[in-house]
Amino acid sequence: MIAVSTRTLRRRGNTVIALVILVILLFPLYWMLNIALQPGESLASTHWLPTSPGWSNFERALESQGGSLVTSLVVALGAVVVCLAMAAPAAYGLAQLGLKGGRSLVFGTLITQMVPGIVIANALYSAYVDLHLVNSLAGLILADASLGLPFSIVLLRAFMVSIPKEVVEAAMVDGASRFTAFVRIVLPISRNSLITAGLFTFLFAWSDFMFALTLNTTDAVKPITLSMYEYIGAHVSDWGAVMATAVVSAVPAAILLIVAQKYVAAGITGGSVK
Amino acid sequence: MSTTTAAPAESVATSPAAPARRASRATLTRWLFVAPAVLYMLAFFGYPLVRNVVMSFQHYTPRTFFTGEAPFNGLDNWTAVFGDKLFTESLWHTAVFTLGSLLGQFVLGLALAVFFSRRFRLSGFARAVLLLPWLVPMVVSSVVWRKLLDQDTGVLNTLLMNLHLTSEPVPWLSSPSVALLSAVLVNIWVGIPFNMVILYGGLQEIPREMYEAASLDGAGPWRTFRSITLPQLRPVITVVLVLGFMSTIKILDLILALTGGGPADSTQTLGTVTYQLSFQQLDFGQGAVVGNVLILISAVFAVFYLRANRSDFAEGK
Amino acid sequence: MPFLRRRPAAPVLLLTLLVASAGLTGCAREADPDTITVLNSATDQHEHDQQQKFFDRCAKPLGVKVEQTSVPAAQVATKALRMASSHSMTDILELDGSELPQFADTGGLVPLKKAGVSLDGLSPGAVSMGSFKGTAYGIARSVNTLALFYNTDLLEKAGVTPPTTWDELKVAAKKLTRGKTFGMAFSATPDADGVYQFLPFFWSAGGNEAHLDNGKGVEAVQLWKDLVTERSASSAVVTWNQQDVNDQFIAGRAAMMVNGPWQVPVLSEHPSLHWAVTTIPVPVAGKDPVAPMGGTVMTLPRTGETGRQTTAAKILNCLNERKNQVGWGAGVNNIPTRDTAAAQYKADNPKLAGFADTVAAARSRTALVGARWPAVSTALAGAFQSVLTGSSSPEAALKRAQSQATAGGE
Repeated sequence: MIAVSTRTLRRRGNTVIALVILVILLFPLYWMLNIALQPGESLASTHWLPTSPGWSNFERALESQGGSLVTSLVVALGAVVVCLAMAAPAAYGLAQLGLKGGRSLVFGTLITQMVPGIVIANALYSAYVDLHLVNSLAGLILADASLGLPFSIVLLRAFMVSIPKEVVEAAMVDGASRFTAFVRIVLPISRNSLITAGLFTFLFAWSDFMFALTLNTTDAVKPITLSMYEYIGAHVSDWGAVMATAVVSAVPAAILLIVAQKYVAAGITGGSVK
Repeated sequence: MSTTTAAPAESVATSPAAPARRASRATLTRWLFVAPAVLYMLAFFGYPLVRNVVMSFQHYTPRTFFTGEAPFNGLDNWTAVFGDKLFTESLWHTAVFTLGSLLGQFVLGLALAVFFSRRFRLSGFARAVLLLPWLVPMVVSSVVWRKLLDQDTGVLNTLLMNLHLTSEPVPWLSSPSVALLSAVLVNIWVGIPFNMVILYGGLQEIPREMYEAASLDGAGPWRTFRSITLPQLRPVITVVLVLGFMSTIKILDLILALTGGGPADSTQTLGTVTYQLSFQQLDFGQGAVVGNVLILISAVFAVFYLRANRSDFAEGK
Repeated sequence: MPFLRRRPAAPVLLLTLLVASAGLTGCAREADPDTITVLNSATDQHEHDQQQKFFDRCAKPLGVKVEQTSVPAAQVATKALRMASSHSMTDILELDGSELPQFADTGGLVPLKKAGVSLDGLSPGAVSMGSFKGTAYGIARSVNTLALFYNTDLLEKAGVTPPTTWDELKVAAKKLTRGKTFGMAFSATPDADGVYQFLPFFWSAGGNEAHLDNGKGVEAVQLWKDLVTERSASSAVVTWNQQDVNDQFIAGRAAMMVNGPWQVPVLSEHPSLHWAVTTIPVPVAGKDPVAPMGGTVMTLPRTGETGRQTTAAKILNCLNERKNQVGWGAGVNNIPTRDTAAAQYKADNPKLAGFADTVAAARSRTALVGARWPAVSTALAGAFQSVLTGSSSPEAALKRAQSQATAGGE
């Protein structure tokens, strides 16, 4: 039938357009990979295609950066836990509990976004010294949680606003405390938003550089952003290795993103609670 | 199955003799929900903010780090900064950069979100893969772009010349008039994924029935977009724009790695000026002044945002 | 809305644990009496290992160990300041020469003579690089400078001899520009790289960094401008740092370049590239090239621990013995500062003779303006950048630079 073939044609057309868009938008990343796969070439004479791909750059990258990847993973996951532990109740409070001064709290949340990272990091340093949090995983986790907290509160609140109050009230009538109701009803319903907020927090923490740089004076805690920065600074001429490191550093986050992608699509904004 | 919790249990079936006490305990419980986040934010954001404001009135130099003394010098830092031509130039650059980036990221992000909300093969995969630019640390993407935009050896110019779109290599990063544009373009590239993901999510939430009703009424695609899609997306759009504004206005690492603020200071923004003053000139007092200006601008913006969305923030909606 | 199995207490528990463990992990380390600590910018593994080798060599006879903390060069100053504010400074602080005056000005460094470090036998330029207001606070065991690298094959093919004067340079660069290759490449970025590369031309023309507007620097800016307008050098030099310039040279896109000895290992990785080094051309024949002196100096921060300070001073003296200077210079491709060591280095590395000769007369960037160097450097960069991008004339640019450099006077 003509109608079917038009639709199929349009679908194929869309796929082609999508591919073109991908090529254009992702070209720089392709270039990164390209350079990484051409060990020994000077940057000004890189070929368009890695005709004889070499993996030595990646080997070197993993060798020197492997430990930092693990550190980043631990820090990012920790930051997600800390952040959500604070953001979820706060978002619920703002969304559902009709707190007076709720508006100024939102304003306060927005203010936090305005302060440049350097300003925060430098101020934190002196406090951290007194609290013995410098060069510690815990200290970095606490700091990185701040990267996702405002965003998570805004996101979760936007979702929780749409949860009907009756649902929670019903549980409380049955004898549960508000907190228990929150944990057993609100949280599961908000699963998608929680995952989305957690995902973004993970990504913010993963790519944090400012805190990693400022709050660590030794090599004890070295996330991937920091070790890459040092690597770039130390191997200025070795672009192949630098790019390989960059690719390697993006992979864990990319995997996480693809896996959690369907939750993200579903959980972004407040929708009706089915 | 019952778990112990930290919050005091709220017993519903209390005697009617103490309603006031119950109410205040209820309020306390409610505040406890918000307390951890509030305390945390006061510590991690409030304290640096206050410290920054104080520092802008102090003579804060390397000597301070050794002796701990930072004598107040009144408005000296402020007059020095406001009197510097670089500051006013950077204000302008920041405005151009922020507006340009937001516009570009938003429009393209929305277009892509709309495009990918149609079901076709690869749409899911493409959507996921398009997030990659966002995952690569800014340090690295800026360095890659720097190579791509190189006037003589960069891939972009090679491509443009081979396709005969230009006869002369475009001075992407070496001309003061083009450099800021290049920075905007790179920032748009970086910001599209974030916008796309969030706007896509918002699009998914719009009920299909509304579109069906509109097409029954004979509305064309553009009309539908204007009258249904955009209004329904409004809360999401505001979130995206506000967050985008906040993070773009204080941009630093992208510009530092891409152009270093040059050529001829044509890409200096408030963020880079703060950095230069504090960490290169080691005059932290002046750097704090610029930082405060940044915060002030963001605050004004935030106020506008709150007023525009007053209804959303009405009591416990 | 099923009651999914959640672990509600877990997040709270975890948070509590984290905060509690915060006190346990990452405590400020107690200074180990047998370990001397160093803060430097040796993030490159090779350099880090070289540093450790010489530290160990000098520390062993004293019965101590040396521990390095390395951060990227751009971060050393700020890290040092933070450490100072938390009273956790290392025993030895290795700063870039251009950063020394600001640190010395704070009073936080110990004058070397008082600590027992000897600077005898070091070149005057090196001593001045580590000095502030006449007192030596830092000691440099090796320095680097700039010279003109040229591609011997390309010059031979074009029938050009290495230039010695500015006129010769312009002529040669023009002749060598053909196809995709530019005759000349240099770094004109608005940061330390660009300024470093501009100084040889600025100084040999008689320019004075304390008086940018004395008219003498105009020639130098004009030279750079001419090279770009005549297409002998790419207009992209305003975006190329010294590393980019090296990349261009390696790829054959530049026949001549201004660069430093640290590029030698990179250049050696490309055996098909045949290069040689000569001193940077001067305005007129007969004048001596005046190049900037770059590199790091080792200082002794005031930690209040006199015992460790004495040990650290002994280590510094040891590191600067002739043998160790030569070994260090060879290991990292920098020129030793001890005259005798430099002579031996030149004998061992004839290809780098151009550098060794230049170093002897090289000048410290902070000799005249001391702690005002960052402001002067920024202003100077602004000057040549605005001229190269066509927004200003050399005279106007330098005049403006002078007022910028002296604004908010110190």
